[in-house]
Amino acid sequence: MSSRLRKVGQIALRDFVATAVTRGFIIGLLITPAFITLFVLVGPRLFSQRNFKAQGQIAVIDPTSVVTPALRDEVNPELIAERRRQNLERNLSQVPAGMRQLAQSGAPGALDAAFGQIPDLRIVERPSAADVQQEKEWLRQAEPGAERHLALVVVHADAVMRPPGGQYGGYDLYEAPNLDDRVDAAIQQSVRQAIVAARARAQNLDRAQIDDVLAVERPPATVVTSEGERPSAGGLNRLMPVVFMVLLFMGVMMGGQTLMTSTIEEKSSRVVEVLLSAVSPIELMAGKILGQMAVGLIAIALYVVMGLALLLSFAMLGLIDLWLLAYLGIFFVLAYLTMGSIMAAIGAAVNELKEAQSMMGPLMLLMVGPMALAAPISQNPNSMFSTVISFVPPINTFAMLIRMTSSAPPPLWQVWLSIAVGAVAAVGAVWFAAKVFRIGLLMYGKPPDFATLVRWARSA
Amino acid sequence: MTTGAALSLHGVTKTFGDMKAVDRLDLTVPRGALYGVIGPNGAGKTTTIRIIMSILFADVGQVSVLGRASALDAKNRIGYLPEERGVYRKMRVAAFLSYMARLKDVAERDVAPRVARGLERVGLAGTERKRCEELSKGMLQKVQFLAAIIHEPDLLILDEPFSGLDPVSARQLRDLVLEEHRRGATILFSTHVMPHAEEICEHVVMIHRGRKVLDEPLGAIRRQFDPRTILFEPFDPAADVASLPRYPDVERVEATSGGYEIALRPGSDPATAMQRIAAAIAPARLELSRPRLEDVFLRIVGGDTAACVRDELRGEVA
Repeated sequence: MSSRLRKVGQIALRDFVATAVTRGFIIGLLITPAFITLFVLVGPRLFSQRNFKAQGQIAVIDPTSVVTPALRDEVNPELIAERRRQNLERNLSQVPAGMRQLAQSGAPGALDAAFGQIPDLRIVERPSAADVQQEKEWLRQAEPGAERHLALVVVHADAVMRPPGGQYGGYDLYEAPNLDDRVDAAIQQSVRQAIVAARARAQNLDRAQIDDVLAVERPPATVVTSEGERPSAGGLNRLMPVVFMVLLFMGVMMGGQTLMTSTIEEKSSRVVEVLLSAVSPIELMAGKILGQMAVGLIAIALYVVMGLALLLSFAMLGLIDLWLLAYLGIFFVLAYLTMGSIMAAIGAAVNELKEAQSMMGPLMLLMVGPMALAAPISQNPNSMFSTVISFVPPINTFAMLIRMTSSAPPPLWQVWLSIAVGAVAAVGAVWFAAKVFRIGLLMYGKPPDFATLVRWARSA
Repeated sequence: MTTGAALSLHGVTKTFGDMKAVDRLDLTVPRGALYGVIGPNGAGKTTTIRIIMSILFADVGQVSVLGRASALDAKNRIGYLPEERGVYRKMRVAAFLSYMARLKDVAERDVAPRVARGLERVGLAGTERKRCEELSKGMLQKVQFLAAIIHEPDLLILDEPFSGLDPVSARQLRDLVLEEHRRGATILFSTHVMPHAEEICEHVVMIHRGRKVLDEPLGAIRRQFDPRTILFEPFDPAADVASLPRYPDVERVEATSGGYEIALRPGSDPATAMQRIAAAIAPARLELSRPRLEDVFLRIVGGDTAACVRDELRGEVA
């Protein structure tokens, strides 16, 4: 190995160790997955609706006299529990096997609890000819300790029997003030189901038979690939573009930010001139860029391994094409070299972190831009916009990765063209950064503006 | 270019904006020499050294370092202690020195022994595991000096090495510099404090406003700028010193805080004059005043400039 390469390696190693082998970095690296795990474990308990219980009285004015009995059945706690069980089974049949097993292996009643407590609604039948205005007064009556008056349902006379040549009627609903939306939803659903049941009975139809006729089992989809078949991941594959983009963004930011701050630190502590007695500015910059690139790669690798382990445990490894991980590595290197080298140049040009913030603004916009564009690109991965932006550096790497992980990946030639464009951009950025780095490192005083940086690059 | 010179500059010019930091500078430092570059702050010393080190590049002129056209090609043979020196504050002393040794291509098997030996040599044994930020300024300066010589360089360039040091640390550092010189290293160091140069230099280069104004061996300077002044203190404070100007060798006598300064006439022999003075008035102190670099510098730059830089040159001596 040549002396210069060895020196670059030494600088890279020192920068990597100084960043990655620190308590702060390790904690910072693990804190994100720790928070996600905590959110997954504790979140449902924190945000669970199981403690909520719709409870109170519903007054009904029913000129048809057949809706009220049906409504009583609808709010019957046992019938509600049975309906929930059937819905749950139907929903679980659609999710991947791993998640289904996880759901079914939970504590008995856990899933029931997750849906919240069964409403405790009592029906108060009012005379069919009762005055609605007077009955509304009932809603305003609140006796301490007594059940709350929740709503007044006024069933239309033609709600069950359709008038000749007309449409079915429905019902009017009057509610107590500040009624919880979930109670409102429970009441509306119960009344609707009661009217449907009454209409079926009036037509001498068996409601159960109708339900059977309407029910078509939705089978879990099977994905057929050139390598074989695998169960569909359902909507989970829509998460893939977001996951990959966040990984790329995080890796570039983690490496780039540390590169910038360590350069500023070396400059402000005046250690840089000591280093320049041993290595050239370009060797110093190359070493630092490589060292921090390793930091970003380590972070990405850690999260990828954790993600793969999670997918494996849910038997959902087929959700991703493992080749995408290789492309993630390629796009990371290109995006990091482009953004990271510019961050290194900024670090060399300024005297302190505060001065770097203003120069980082435009760069941050370029980094965050793809986040905002992730949804339109992944929904229409082959639109004109998505295609064009895949070749515009420095955001082409982000855009192309989103397209590749979408439901309609681009043709391979576009992927490699985007990589070639990214490589050219990276070389240009490193060239620019090397020029600025060489001059900026020994410049102190007023921080330069962007025009000055360009002048440095042209004069160096 | 001088063949065999450790260092040579020819017609080197460097401009920053409208200011010429270095102006057509020629300099040749033979191998094994100990050169001092002196001049007030802003004279162009640091810029010259940075150009030698290829940290900055001359607008015009040629540089040769250890036979190479650029210091970049000979970095492993050059030791450099910059004026703006720093360390990785959180790094441990041994780790920092090992890192610098590796950057200077010291063989891996030699790194640890050299670090240990070096720390022992500068009296810092036992500080290997300390973080750099835990050391005092004097200790840190020794560590920085050690980082500059850890690879046993052929050429050692020190920019204001004694700046900010207390007298004891300055003396220790001076001894280390002389040790390196005895080892065979060519040494070039800059200072704006003339007495430091007087103490250790063999050869002095004076720079003023980017231009070289003097480039002579120290002995030659003393001869050339002989002030022909005798410092005299009578044994008897009441002695008749006022009679001395009547002697043929003496031009004038001026009272100073510690005695008298006797200026000799041109062409007179100082040895004869001293014998005559001693015979006339018993001396408590009688010595030939040696020219100070400070005085030499002030005589060369002359006029108003001299007044401006006088205080600066004396700055750290006072």
